[in-house]
Amino acid sequence: MKSAKWENIFKGWNRTESETVLTLKQVPIFRDFSDKDFSEVEKLIHHRNYSTGDFIFKNRAPGEGMYIIMHGAVKITIGTRAKDENILAELGEGDFFGELALFDDEPRSANAIATKDSELLGLFEQDLFTLQERNPVLGLKILLNLGRVLGDRLRGTNNLLIQTQVEKSE
Amino acid sequence: MNTPKNYFQLIYRIIIGLIAIWFLSIIWPYISNVVLMLVFAFLFTTVLLSSVDALERKIGSRGLSVLAVVIILLGSIGTFIGSFISQMSQQAIEFSNRIDKDTLTQEFKTLGEKFTSSMPEFLQNMQPSDGNTAGKLSEIINSVVGSLASMAGAIGNFFFIAAMVFIFTIILLAEYHGFRKSLVNAIPNKYFEVGIKLIYNIEKSVSSYLRGQFLSAASVAAMSVTGLLLLNFFGANLTLTVFIGIIAGLANLIPLIGPFVGMVPAILIAFMNNIGNDVAMAHQLFGVVPSPFYLLDIVLMFLIVQQIEGNLITPALVGKSVGLHPMIVMIALLIGGTILGPLGMLFAVPATGVMKVVLQEISFVRKNAHLL
Repeated sequence: MKSAKWENIFKGWNRTESETVLTLKQVPIFRDFSDKDFSEVEKLIHHRNYSTGDFIFKNRAPGEGMYIIMHGAVKITIGTRAKDENILAELGEGDFFGELALFDDEPRSANAIATKDSELLGLFEQDLFTLQERNPVLGLKILLNLGRVLGDRLRGTNNLLIQTQVEKSE
Repeated sequence: MNTPKNYFQLIYRIIIGLIAIWFLSIIWPYISNVVLMLVFAFLFTTVLLSSVDALERKIGSRGLSVLAVVIILLGSIGTFIGSFISQMSQQAIEFSNRIDKDTLTQEFKTLGEKFTSSMPEFLQNMQPSDGNTAGKLSEIINSVVGSLASMAGAIGNFFFIAAMVFIFTIILLAEYHGFRKSLVNAIPNKYFEVGIKLIYNIEKSVSSYLRGQFLSAASVAAMSVTGLLLLNFFGANLTLTVFIGIIAGLANLIPLIGPFVGMVPAILIAFMNNIGNDVAMAHQLFGVVPSPFYLLDIVLMFLIVQQIEGNLITPALVGKSVGLHPMIVMIALLIGGTILGPLGMLFAVPATGVMKVVLQEISFVRKNAHLL
């Protein structure tokens, strides 16, 4: 028979992975993280819910951090919603966006709009600074992984540019 | 076209604001103590939070970490107060053994005569002719002792407040991150990122102010101890130097009046230790200015310490931790002092720093409202 008293005392000893950690595990920024690292990051993460059509952030708005899609879907656009909307990307569960705001104080370069009712995880510049102070090794791990992700994206952009130039010249 | 609507909105907001102020003024007397306790608890939490977090990472239990930090803190405070009281009482017993009431009155009389004789002639003529300085000094001391008795009630109240602050601090330390997350969760999506930035900036402003204050208090304590030992080297015969230094450092936390409060224990000890000592009585600062019982030496030493702390150490260690103009600091101190006395002075600067951060963010939101 289970005793609530003993379960309370030993709660966390046999803890199963939370949904948040399962989502974080899909994100390359948290590659090679131990369970302890994930529980540290989980403390910093903020859960936010958005309804379909809600702006998560607007183009040129001051940016504070990145978001990871736990449930739902988000589109990244430039232009206004009504007329000249240009969709740059459509993101689903496990995808992330807005990570540039972790590195600079520049305003957002696009809109992010929820296309379904969504639950997002937010990791912010200030939280990263706090983590850097509290656990520098973990902070460095995140920054290195972020660097890798940005490098991959830059490489992808370069390839696209080269491809476009090749197509133009043909 | 929007003007009438804006006027209505403005009038509506002013009325709501006035009602809020009126309501606050009505309930303030009932909640002021609780607010004060919460503010104290928040400040203590800010100071202790990093230690609790660090310990939690090591041992993996928040509750045990809070317990360990609280026990260490209480132990240190208890040890300090206990040994201070025991040394002080020992000092007082020695003093009372050495001096009886008549001798004390005689000493005051001699001191009064020495002061009078060291004054220029025109000032000596302005002294009252009854020569009863000793009696007046004794009266003052008696009235001080009398008012000490009336402080007993206040001490009881102090212990109640201290216990409540202690309990609030433990709860805040244990649940700080949970409270913070709940606060963040309550922010509407539209203002989410701005709200997070605001909370972070407030925390940063308060913690950098506190860190600065503790560093400057520690430096004042260290320099005061060094200065007192130096005075002892020249024969000042001061005891309890470490305690006097720590008290001076702590008193330094209260701006403007604190540094002067810090001098008082040193002056009292100098007086108690040197009474009846003719050499100390005839001591002259730099061999020129009469400084009985090394009193002027002590004052000069503390003034030097404060100048070093204020002009060299604080700017170097702390910088502009809160980033307030000195004029604003003075006004804040006056307002804080008027509302809450010395406690108000203690909180005036960080509270103004927090208000500055909030106003900056409000102005930022107003400018960028179309982007949120």
